[in-house]
Amino acid sequence: MSRTTRWSRLASLGVLSIVFSACAGSVSPSPSSGGAPSTGASQPAASAASAAAFTAKAYPETAVDCANPPKYTSGSNSATYTGIFKQITAVDQLTVKFDLCSADVAFLSKIAFASNNIQDSDWLNAHAKDKSITHDAINGTAAYQLKEWVPGAQVTLEANPNYWGDKAKAQTVVIKWSKEATQRLQDLQAGTVDGIDNVAPDDFQTVQNDPNLQILPREALNILYLGFNVNQAPWNNEKVRQAIAMGLDRKRIADNFYPPGSEAADYFTPCAIPLACGGDKWYATDTAKAKQMLTDAGFDFSKTYDFHYRTKVRSYLPSPTQVATDLQSQLADIGVKISLVVEKDDTYLSDEAQGKFPLFLLGWGADYPDVTDFLDVHFGTGANSGFGKKFDDLTKSLAAGAAESDQTKRGQDYTDANNQVRTHVPMVPLVHGASATAWKKDVQNAHSSPIGSEYFFVMTPGDRTQLVWSQNSEPSGLYCGDESDGDALRICSQIFDSLYNYKVAGLDPEPALATSCDPNADLTSWTCKLRDGVQFQKGGTLDANDVVDSMAAQWDVKNPLHVGNLGANWYFPTLFGGCLNPNFDKDGAQTCAVGGS
Amino acid sequence: MAAITSPADRLIDPLTTTRTASLWRDTLANIVRQRNARVGLVILGILLFAAIFADVVAAYNPDKVLFDQGIKRLSAPCIHLLGCPATTPEHLFGIDANGRDEFSRVLHGARISLQVGFLTVGFAIVIGSLLGLIAGYASGRIETVIMRTMDVLLVFPALLLAIAIVAALGPGLINAQLAIGIVAIPVYARIMRSSVLSVRQSDFVTGSRALGESPIGLVFRRILPNSLTPTIVAGTLGIAGAVLDVAALSFLGLGAQPPTSEWGSMVGQDRGYLFTAPHLVFFPGVALAMTVFGFNLLGDGIRDALDPRLNR
Repeated sequence: MSRTTRWSRLASLGVLSIVFSACAGSVSPSPSSGGAPSTGASQPAASAASAAAFTAKAYPETAVDCANPPKYTSGSNSATYTGIFKQITAVDQLTVKFDLCSADVAFLSKIAFASNNIQDSDWLNAHAKDKSITHDAINGTAAYQLKEWVPGAQVTLEANPNYWGDKAKAQTVVIKWSKEATQRLQDLQAGTVDGIDNVAPDDFQTVQNDPNLQILPREALNILYLGFNVNQAPWNNEKVRQAIAMGLDRKRIADNFYPPGSEAADYFTPCAIPLACGGDKWYATDTAKAKQMLTDAGFDFSKTYDFHYRTKVRSYLPSPTQVATDLQSQLADIGVKISLVVEKDDTYLSDEAQGKFPLFLLGWGADYPDVTDFLDVHFGTGANSGFGKKFDDLTKSLAAGAAESDQTKRGQDYTDANNQVRTHVPMVPLVHGASATAWKKDVQNAHSSPIGSEYFFVMTPGDRTQLVWSQNSEPSGLYCGDESDGDALRICSQIFDSLYNYKVAGLDPEPALATSCDPNADLTSWTCKLRDGVQFQKGGTLDANDVVDSMAAQWDVKNPLHVGNLGANWYFPTLFGGCLNPNFDKDGAQTCAVGGS
Repeated sequence: MAAITSPADRLIDPLTTTRTASLWRDTLANIVRQRNARVGLVILGILLFAAIFADVVAAYNPDKVLFDQGIKRLSAPCIHLLGCPATTPEHLFGIDANGRDEFSRVLHGARISLQVGFLTVGFAIVIGSLLGLIAGYASGRIETVIMRTMDVLLVFPALLLAIAIVAALGPGLINAQLAIGIVAIPVYARIMRSSVLSVRQSDFVTGSRALGESPIGLVFRRILPNSLTPTIVAGTLGIAGAVLDVAALSFLGLGAQPPTSEWGSMVGQDRGYLFTAPHLVFFPGVALAMTVFGFNLLGDGIRDALDPRLNR
């Protein structure tokens, strides 16, 4: 949830239009609609049609043959479909079926995630191509609708009068941003905002002592890690990586730079998540042994190695420069000299995803409470190239775990995976960081979401009609199928619904646009019944085709709707294992990004 | 073997040597006579002492994290003489956000600030003076090209231009010094050129030329030494500006990088603790202010000492 991937600037160079031209004829036509998804409709008339006129879609027309998955080639690059989606079918106007290649026990949690929100099919067709769906043409179903977005200043939301659920308590929500935690707190103390995200660790006491404020801790469902690109020397030496893992004092970082409730990481995935902490604990700190291992591995102590990080504050990294400086000091203690390189916020994640950083600092916050959200996302087949090559034993364990419905066997798969991570050390897990939101005392129903998805519509800001919220950064877009930054996803959660949503301040998925999603016996097919009469904010009524198109736009790289903000569509493959018709990045790895890397 | 000298050398050198020694002695005496300059010298003396003996005076390595000694980050200053418990380790300026001794970092910061000031201004003076000298002596098309180039550089606000240069070169202390040095070049080029334009019309220059002095000799032995005074005054005042500008770049994260103990970057990194741990901003801020104050006082003193009107 906590990243912003910007894979490509190709869109601005006109490459998108070339991709569209090349792909226009290759989209599988829908069997019942008799053609490719519409790209020209501008009026949301179809979704208001009666059941009799409804033309159900299926995507793709012919289901993926999971036994013989599609193979893709481009030049010297080749890949096989690795995703678990087989077909999405609109059974009738209010029923949609997901057929999967393998069981997915976390399916409900995954579809509840904000990146899988449901767009109006006709609206999407009308506004995806010119990308207006990312900033201006925002059309959801949730309690708030976009009123105004002043770039660099604020986003204003207003209550959706046609919301299907409980109406928003505050008529207006204003969302501001400031990179500085101190600035956010000063705004809160001055009364110009009602709530702030990520209170600085050193300010916890200040907020607690202020009778006009309330602090609401957020569970440490995240991980800060020091990453290696294992393709690049000297980090391509497993012994060197193990030595670094042994040389770092993770507790020192957790104790000194994080608020109460944080802990040094013994596993990559926080232990509050089921099945997360099987296998051996991470290496105990032993600087003498680390030095010896580096010497034995032939490590070049005379060189200074670049260490890349960004200064964006996240719940997993509340004090970026201080933590980076401390790591520099700790590495110096074992003879490893590093130079701190501050990267730009807006390109950091895309550069990392492409494997540009040999040694870097990054983190991850939970999107849903399943171990797949941590391990598969980073080390599975759908993971990006940030850590370089993937480890076969690890990807096999993860694939087995994701498809296993027996919890005991699944637990063993993740135990194996944790041990393999510990052996290969593609990264060093450092800290699970607690964080907190702070609010004016009179804001009723204020809450912190463990995944950073606070719902404003349940909050009452005293006797005021407007709730003002200050977060870390401006969203880069509000088409959240193509966003991965927590600050964007939080706003999307106010405007859009998924088939399921997470409970307020919780992790459990609960029905939203779907009244139910029921699996078959082996969990390879999920049938969802949609809520009747749900209206989109700009007009149009929810139907099963909206679900098909919303998901297909992310799933198939050659779908004309596969556009988004920067075209990375990063979340879908990490959640569901892969996409159709992938592109290839510069290293030959498949990617669901528009135009490749 | 006896040195072979030209008639011109035999006539002028003894006079010049005697006069130069006397000039510098007089100047130094004049400087010391100025109260402002004396205060400036004392401040800069302390700064120089701190810079040279930082390793001895500072109790800790400025980059050493002291968590293993039981200290807490952001601790306030602890001075035993002022009542801090003897059981608590003494840290005169407290502990910074990374668990390092603030006093040691401020002391070592003096070394960096002095280095920054002298190197930056030295670079700007050397390049600027050379360009000004050439422009002033050569005149014509060469002068036009040089001075118009300087004018172009002067069009941009200095700090903004420096930020642009650092953005192009990449952040770092050396690049920041280079940027500030480049930005300062036009100032010294213009000062030197105006001095040269005045000096080259002087009788002693005409006399030297008449006695057969070569153009190179004229420029470097007659004109340059007699055109340096305004540049020296400007340079002394310029050091303060350079220290401040590099600190500003470091404050913005474009200059010194962690863990370098540079005052601007220390203030920048710890500005978020202005209310919770003000000592982290106060001490490097005061050190920076005193350094700038010292150089400004000394610069004023030198200017006054070298101004013949004020000497009478």
